[in-house]
Amino acid sequence: MMNSVVEREDIQGRINEIGQADILVGVPSYNNARSIGHVVRAVQAGLAKYFPDRKTVLVNSDGGSKDGTMDVVHTTTIDDFHSILLSHRVESFSKIAIPYHGIPGKGSAFRTIFEIAQALNVKACAVVDSDLRSITPEWIELLITPVMRDGYDYVAPLYHRHKYDGTITNSIVYPLTRALYGKNVRQPIGGDFGFSGKLAGFYLTKDVWETDVARYGIDIWMTTTAIANDFRVCQAFLGAKIHDAKDPGADLSAMLYQVVGATFDLMEEYQSMWKRVSANEAVPVFGFTYEVGLEPVGVNIQRMIDKFTLGAQELAGVWRSILPAETLRFLKRLAHAAPEKFRMPDEIWVDTIYNFALAAHRNALNKEHLLKSLTPLYIGRTASFVIEAWDSSGPEVEEKIDTLCGVYEKFKPSFADRWT
Amino acid sequence: MNFLQRIIIEPFESCYEKFLTFMPNLLTSLALLIIGIVLGGVLRIVFLKIFRAVKLDRAAKRVGLFEMLARGGIKDSFSAFVARLVGWFVVFTFAVVAVQTLKIPTVENLLDRFFLYLPNVFTAVVILLFGYLFGNFFGRAALIASVNAGLRQSGMVGRFVKITIFILSVTMAMEQLGIGRDTVLIAFAIIFGGIVLALAIAFGLGGKDVARNYLKRNISSDDKEDDGTRDDIDPL
Repeated sequence: MMNSVVEREDIQGRINEIGQADILVGVPSYNNARSIGHVVRAVQAGLAKYFPDRKTVLVNSDGGSKDGTMDVVHTTTIDDFHSILLSHRVESFSKIAIPYHGIPGKGSAFRTIFEIAQALNVKACAVVDSDLRSITPEWIELLITPVMRDGYDYVAPLYHRHKYDGTITNSIVYPLTRALYGKNVRQPIGGDFGFSGKLAGFYLTKDVWETDVARYGIDIWMTTTAIANDFRVCQAFLGAKIHDAKDPGADLSAMLYQVVGATFDLMEEYQSMWKRVSANEAVPVFGFTYEVGLEPVGVNIQRMIDKFTLGAQELAGVWRSILPAETLRFLKRLAHAAPEKFRMPDEIWVDTIYNFALAAHRNALNKEHLLKSLTPLYIGRTASFVIEAWDSSGPEVEEKIDTLCGVYEKFKPSFADRWT
Repeated sequence: MNFLQRIIIEPFESCYEKFLTFMPNLLTSLALLIIGIVLGGVLRIVFLKIFRAVKLDRAAKRVGLFEMLARGGIKDSFSAFVARLVGWFVVFTFAVVAVQTLKIPTVENLLDRFFLYLPNVFTAVVILLFGYLFGNFFGRAALIASVNAGLRQSGMVGRFVKITIFILSVTMAMEQLGIGRDTVLIAFAIIFGGIVLALAIAFGLGGKDVARNYLKRNISSDDKEDDGTRDDIDPL
């Protein structure tokens, strides 16, 4: 097992220097020199403006950036506080920028942040992505205050996003989390969270750092762990989420595999809990909700349909051991449908996801093969959703997602019965 | 009288003596064979129960062994198949011991040679089995990866990987058995080298435009063009 980052001499020295802190904000990064300066300034301003009497720390946990990301963190500072502050800062603000160890990924970066939070005995933490362009100092207040003032342990973000963004969230993770665990957390893998020092310590008791949790699985793992272990959960409305375009070379199937794999692993761990849940409840929301303008998102529907069709032609043999014959027949027919008639109904999609979960539970196939073979189906579902939502407004799209959640909830009892 | 003794009685006496010497061996041999058959049957049932208890069929399905048996026309479950193999192995072992008990020099000599060769057969079977499993595994991995990459020839890529690994294992198995050692190796090297060369030429000629576009896109200092066909959807 990997040693804790706080055992490193240089980090130990820095922690001894700081001693103890009240609030810690973590920023995981990898080659984000272009955007991280803005994030660091927003964090620093937020801490100075809303928590002037608290001792605060910013931790940049870096994955070995080659573009000078850590240098940007070290050199970025706010010279003129007058434009944003009402009062002068009293308590100290420190920065730690270190490369994390372990499996390269967001989860490993978070682990380092949790370890430093525990070593500094902080009361509240927040983590924000380093590629954010829409972050403001208010985000820090919104993510930290529910923990510091109201005793919440976990603050999930709530954003306004483009109707086509967050497709893994909208079609799989959100409805599944809501149906299984009964908590209506709209952005369970949003990436920007607030949490108590107690919860950070709890996360560190779990031995998951060699799994998909060390990569993109970290977000759903944090949310589900908080919900399933009865920590107090709320949401904070942060406005719009706008960030740098994702690396076009990023492998979608690897991302899907890590997120869905972590979700299915959590279903194993908390099966006794989710089987008992039969209804869902709203989660309190902090922050003033308002409408925001969003950047347009480019989509290529034909390319999505082509990828689904290719999958339906070539992967039918793999899907045969996962999906019922009726669903398989529908997918084959869909592969021959004209683009304007291309629709994957909610029932088929939910049945597909539940059957993939059961196949993972029964070890029907190598896990990586199983989950990566889901990619064409997910792309097909996304294409269908984009076509359906083409003329829909944001609230109308939310209604569609709510309907999908209803189907997940309706199918849950029969799914739970088959989960033996 | 002497003549009669030498021509008829002595050979009969000799034959009778040999028969008397051979008879216990034959009976022992038959007894061993019967014990082997009974023990084989009992062990088959015992192993079947053990395999079912440890859910061997589920594991076999996962790694593709179930599929392999089905393709080979075997309708049994994997547990039943392996239990049957165990049973037959016991019967076979007892049969060999039974034959040795007969103490017939020619048979003994043949058995010695057979036993010296047997490890090679066993190793070859294991190589073939692993070749089949690895071929299936990596073939499926290549198929899924190429489908996700949007390759039109995904099926061909998957089959190519699967067949190449299986052919490699057949070559290794034949080498282990000492069958056409050099011929098989050279044939494999020629075929494999030929395929790789053909693919290299095909990719080189067919993919030059793709390579040029890729380099232009990634090395050129100009901003990337948006031709309206890009996907900007953030999946998370």
